[in-house]
Amino acid sequence: MDNPLDTQEKYSKYVDKKSPNSPILKNCFNAFWVGGLICSIGQIIANFCKYQGMEQQSANTVVSIILIGLAAFLTGLNIFNKIGKFAGAGSLIPITGFANSIVSPAIEYKSEGYVMGVGGKMFTVAGPVLVFGISASVIIGIIATFFVGG
Amino acid sequence: MNKLGKQTIKFDNPPTISQTASIVGPKEAQGPMAKYFDQCLEDEFWGEKTWEKAESKIIKETTNMVIAKSGIASNEIDFCFAGDLLNQCISSSFGLREINIPFFGVFGACSTFVESMCLGSICIESGCAKNVICATSSHFCSAEKQFRFPLELGNQRPPTSQWTVTGSGAVILSASGQGPFITHATPGKIVDMGIKDANNMRCCNGPCSL
Repeated sequence: MDNPLDTQEKYSKYVDKKSPNSPILKNCFNAFWVGGLICSIGQIIANFCKYQGMEQQSANTVVSIILIGLAAFLTGLNIFNKIGKFAGAGSLIPITGFANSIVSPAIEYKSEGYVMGVGGKMFTVAGPVLVFGISASVIIGIIATFFVGG
Repeated sequence: MNKLGKQTIKFDNPPTISQTASIVGPKEAQGPMAKYFDQCLEDEFWGEKTWEKAESKIIKETTNMVIAKSGIASNEIDFCFAGDLLNQCISSSFGLREINIPFFGVFGACSTFVESMCLGSICIESGCAKNVICATSSHFCSAEKQFRFPLELGNQRPPTSQWTVTGSGAVILSASGQGPFITHATPGKIVDMGIKDANNMRCCNGPCSL
């Protein structure tokens, strides 16, 4: 009889075979419609702003501000994590997920004080996104300036 | 006390588990074992401001409870073996600082409790103690905070993820008593089968027990 404990590779294959998989179809479906709903809300806000006579760029900023504010508020009320559990990437990929990833450690580490707790640990989840996002934008900016003539 | 086979300790005068106590959180209280716990908490903070303080309070109250139930005066308990999941075992060291019993901090993650009972038994069997107290605690919220993500983060848990117990258990081991007895102890070896998934602890632990 083949013993899965013989080597790490065998055990890894054994574990993959035995462990239940995430319900991918269901998760995708929920992510799709919740993500779509969030984006539609954003579009409605943008259209409303433009209808009120706002420029496209200002309208986009207003959408970001409202969605971030809403996600942060819902995180504080312990509602956003329930949406996230249900929708996964649907609520994580839009800007709402980014807001949640900053507000949730801030709440979690408040118990360690405002400076070292909230201030120091606020970016534990979002930190990599910021570091690599900003680095990438700087590199792209340099390329654009020198080669595209931005 | 002598060694059997490759890694088993046999006790000549088996120490006895003379008293037990347990306090658990609200989720554990909903489970089928609720009626066996001494106390079930209604909320995870238990009147404290942080989860770490709550965990400290849980282990403190559990050890106080086991001492009270046993009827053994606390100055007759020679040593305390305790540990938990947090860095530097802060729940047990802060929780048990007022207990005033010589303290051995033990860390074995999931095996901390059994490890402390093995060490406690050896301590009794060696003749240097009549009574020892063994305790451990964990808290779902403090463990998630330390090892995984903030609770408010909207991420999905995979089906293989486990739920760290909120609660604490304590026993008093005595040199003589009615039983149940600890007759043997077999410490396991460290087995690393290369599982890297922090959400799949059982698959990491599994091979150690075989």
